[in-house]
Amino acid sequence: MSKGDSVQPADLLRPRHVGQPIRRTEDPRLLTGNGEYTADRKPDRVLHVAFRRSEQAHATIVAIDTAQARAAPGVVAVFTAEDVAELYKPIIPVSRMANYYATPIVALATGKVRYVGEAVVAVIAEDRYLAEDALELIEIDYAPLGVVTDPEDAAAADAPLLHDEAGTNVLVAREFKKGDAAADIAAAHTSVRGRFRMTRKAPLAMEPRSYCAEFDGRREAITLYTSSNIPGIVRDALAESLDLPGSRLRVVAPDVGGSFGSKGSLYPEEILLCVAARKLRRSLKWTADRLEDIASSSQSFAETIEAELGFDADGVAVALQADVTGDVGAYSIYPWTCALEPVQVVSFLPGPYKIKSYRGAVRGVATSKPPTGPYRGVGRPISTFVTERLMDMAAKALGIDPLEIRRRNLVRDDEFPYRIASGIIWDRTGFVACLDAAAEAANYAALRQQQAAARAAGRWFGIGLSSYAELTGIGSRIAVAPGMPINTGSETAKIRIDSTGAITATFGVASHGQGLETTLAQVIADDLGARFDDIRVVQGDSDGVPMSTGTYASRSAVLGGGAAKHASVLLREKIKRVASHLLEAAVDDIDVANGFARVAGTDRTVSFKQVAKAVYSDMKTLPVEAREELEASYTYDPINGTTACATHLAAVEIDPASCFVKVLKYVVAEDCGRIINPMIVDGQVHGGVAQGIGAALYEEMIYDDTGQLLSASLVDYVIPSAVEIPHIDVVHIESESAVAGGFRGMGEGGTIGAPAAIANAIADALAPLGIDVFELPVTPERLFRLIEIARSQQQQ
Amino acid sequence: MKPAAFAYCAPTSLDEAVRALQAADGDGKVMAGGQSLMPLLNFRMTRPTMVVDLTKIPDLSFIEQRGDRVAIGALTRHADLEFSALIAERLPVMSAAMPHVAHLAIRNRGTIGGSLSHADPAAELPMLAVFYSATIRAQGPAGRRDIAAEDFFVSALATCLDPDEIVFEIEFPVLETHTGWAFEEVSRRFGDFALACIALSIETRDGAIVDARVAVMGVADTPLRLRDAEQALLGARGDAAAAFGAVVRGCVAPNSDIHVSADYRRALIGALAEKAFTRAWQRAAGGPK
Ligand SMILES: Cc1cc2nc3c(=O)[nH]c(=O)nc-3n(C[C@H](O)[C@H](O)[C@H](O)COP(=O)(O)OP(=O)(O)OC[C@H]3O[C@@H](n4cnc5c(N)ncnc54)[C@H](O)[C@@H]3O)c2cc1C
Repeated sequence: MSKGDSVQPADLLRPRHVGQPIRRTEDPRLLTGNGEYTADRKPDRVLHVAFRRSEQAHATIVAIDTAQARAAPGVVAVFTAEDVAELYKPIIPVSRMANYYATPIVALATGKVRYVGEAVVAVIAEDRYLAEDALELIEIDYAPLGVVTDPEDAAAADAPLLHDEAGTNVLVAREFKKGDAAADIAAAHTSVRGRFRMTRKAPLAMEPRSYCAEFDGRREAITLYTSSNIPGIVRDALAESLDLPGSRLRVVAPDVGGSFGSKGSLYPEEILLCVAARKLRRSLKWTADRLEDIASSSQSFAETIEAELGFDADGVAVALQADVTGDVGAYSIYPWTCALEPVQVVSFLPGPYKIKSYRGAVRGVATSKPPTGPYRGVGRPISTFVTERLMDMAAKALGIDPLEIRRRNLVRDDEFPYRIASGIIWDRTGFVACLDAAAEAANYAALRQQQAAARAAGRWFGIGLSSYAELTGIGSRIAVAPGMPINTGSETAKIRIDSTGAITATFGVASHGQGLETTLAQVIADDLGARFDDIRVVQGDSDGVPMSTGTYASRSAVLGGGAAKHASVLLREKIKRVASHLLEAAVDDIDVANGFARVAGTDRTVSFKQVAKAVYSDMKTLPVEAREELEASYTYDPINGTTACATHLAAVEIDPASCFVKVLKYVVAEDCGRIINPMIVDGQVHGGVAQGIGAALYEEMIYDDTGQLLSASLVDYVIPSAVEIPHIDVVHIESESAVAGGFRGMGEGGTIGAPAAIANAIADALAPLGIDVFELPVTPERLFRLIEIARSQQQQ
Repeated sequence: MKPAAFAYCAPTSLDEAVRALQAADGDGKVMAGGQSLMPLLNFRMTRPTMVVDLTKIPDLSFIEQRGDRVAIGALTRHADLEFSALIAERLPVMSAAMPHVAHLAIRNRGTIGGSLSHADPAAELPMLAVFYSATIRAQGPAGRRDIAAEDFFVSALATCLDPDEIVFEIEFPVLETHTGWAFEEVSRRFGDFALACIALSIETRDGAIVDARVAVMGVADTPLRLRDAEQALLGARGDAAAAFGAVVRGCVAPNSDIHVSADYRRALIGALAEKAFTRAWQRAAGGPK
């Protein structure tokens, strides 16, 4: 229990929902095909949009001829950037960061194109088939410009510029510094270093991006249904851009089929649909096909890191240096900016370790590829990969077991709160407890014996550990993205009991698969004293609360849950006051549980329905001044947020014939504070680990030197399917955080730990060949090359 | 990702279907299971003016024994081959291969005629046709003709069929005297097209191989029967796995793509050949089937 929430006897009697593996409320509808996604919207006489996208990676648009397309059957309108330029203001992903250039976001490519797949012309037609037929009739005359696909080349002084106004392709540059890392490394007993690389990923969701702008001519209003996980941010940005007040611009995220970050930014197509709907006074709809979604949704994880970590003779890490180059793509995205991913890498490189001095420099470099944005884990899958590889390399160099070297360096229980060298403060979390629990659950000693036997038989068997910590549920003191001016630090819950006694809880968070309808109702059931089944959770609708942002950055359990707790308590007090009239007892003697108010220790009760009737419908029972509306609203801000952590352990074996990596064992020991629903937590960990394994072994966006996308389908962009994902054991360490409810965020963690654990396991398996892993994904081809090289060196 | 407009018909006889193709004057396409054709239409990579749906033609789906051959109708679905007792008994390599073809949902719709005609260089059925020396029987405006599998596949996604010819059945000779066989495939993910794959079948007498059949795929732009490797196996005994692997490696000149390099493919097909040899030899020796 956190401070101020002291346990009262009634709390102990009440049925507890928090902590129970309650089945997800949303699943019956989603699993029986009854979800309602944006593409399911059927507004009156809706028109369909299709986009002509650039085939060029960097070119000036010399001329666009749309005459034939306009005349094509079923076509209602054709828009180029020029046609709509006067109808909205570009959206600028501003930041207070120094050394940052914010590229404006426009509805359609203006003046030039900067990546293959960028939308250039919009065709609006009676149906999507006719719209796509008309796309082929558009003639675009391009004058090709120099293409920059490699961020190191793009950063060179003579490189072709993607944004002339910026004067450089380096859109952001920063440095974090504590102490003199270079001197400390020079003086260190041992140091290990490497040039690490993680290639570009697509955070693919099952549902592609989808928007439906519904125009209401009676009110000159637009409701944008969007497959977004930040509907509140989209509403606020579009309201500015279109100069429409919130009363005439509503943004709703209905059922959303996953995002993983790919739907966590504002997109040009969202602007275009609203602008065009307003101009045509018609409802418009667009759903990306898989090709468009892969080619134009935000991508991620594209960094190269030169890093060096120094140790003393006891295996204690003393100093870390890193230079990070991020391939951020053609534009800075809204609202997170292109700094989000690469800056997060340098912020989190010291990880859960007590490294004294640090220098981390980062540059985000524009390239002729789609913009990068958030992807589950943001930056930390890479920072953890680098730091955990360095830990294992040092363990090997110093002859210390990988488990032991981590134990020597992790922040220990009595050292929290701890400020790491990059400035992040970890609050009390089970760093060491997770390490120990993972080792125990995996039976580490037995695994090492198994490895020895496998090695003796000439097999490549390896064990990999990775420990990390993350900031979750961040409050207003820390910007989710560096220098970002919008408030991501609070969330509102509005809970109402209506005249029928029904409970509706409205949030600004926007679940896109996390099960918030279930977990938030669990929190409310406990704190309000309601029956779980009576609570309806409404979310993702800008009409629901005055301001909100959405669901991202592992925040919704902490912020939404915290708001739910506070609002529940306020409403419970109102119920108690009414009940005290109805039951003729003192307020303090009333206990609320399970949908009833009861005089403690008696069988005298009134139901929520009776309470509601007395307040709203009945003119006699209550004095007028006691008829307080049964509604409570609370905006919760955890100020700093909470730490969450985990240790992952993977055991792998490599098949020498195919160079495939088989994951034999996978254990996660994680601390997400008080668990609201263990089944949902396990599901989040499983999904996150699956994506981390994808990043470690399979997934890679491949662009050739001319900026053409070569992995443009799910045949060529290889995401693991259920069959490729091993059984995952999850151990929970529940150390409660200091925020309301004791929760910590945990939606992203699985993806953060997995790439490092897999990479370490592969390096361990191949240690007899002297192979280290510096680049992810470790595809069969990369492994084949590494093994070939190692063998030819061994022969020499 | 919507197809360009096309006309559609669903004739109820082969003759009618051929006439429909003729009428389309080279711009017609037959559709069987649609599993390869539909994506091509949606990507607008193929733009027929007429799609001729074969699925209303009766009697094109069957698996039957004809003397020392197994005849399979062109519309026979992959799943029917996968679960056929006759195939398991007479064409065991095909039986072993079928679960590797895509995913169950696709196997429920995809047809053998469609797979052969689509001619993907990493598809199992084209390789099996080459492996078994199948006869592919097609009907066109000039009547029917029999095509040897090795002549049928011209290059990646290209066959010797004329635009108005339709495959109606395929005959697979049974390798009656062969007692040992193996099918080895590696694909990136479960259900993906193969990175490399080998099929091997052997007849042994007095502890040595007297006849062998070898085919590979994924290592050239058509499936290949490796006659040199077959020759090399004659007289071989149980210790020849490594040597066979080396021969197979030497027989192929694969391409690189975004997934793996030519070197990887060559190494992989060699390793699979070794495994296949060991497995086939075990079976021939009366080991586990
Ligand atoms: C995700 C995915 C994964 C796949 N993985 C594999 C795999 O691992 N291995 C594999 O072998 N296949 C794979 N396939 C392909 C699948 O096996 C197809 O079913 C098969 O290639 C085509 O069969 P079809 O009946 O669907 O043909 P269709 O799609 O209907 O037709 C394919 C082509 O053949 C022509 N055609 C069809 N029937 C005839 C006929 N009787 N005579 C002349 N021409 C004809 C059509 O005009 C068209 O050009 C995969 C497909 C998908 C979608």
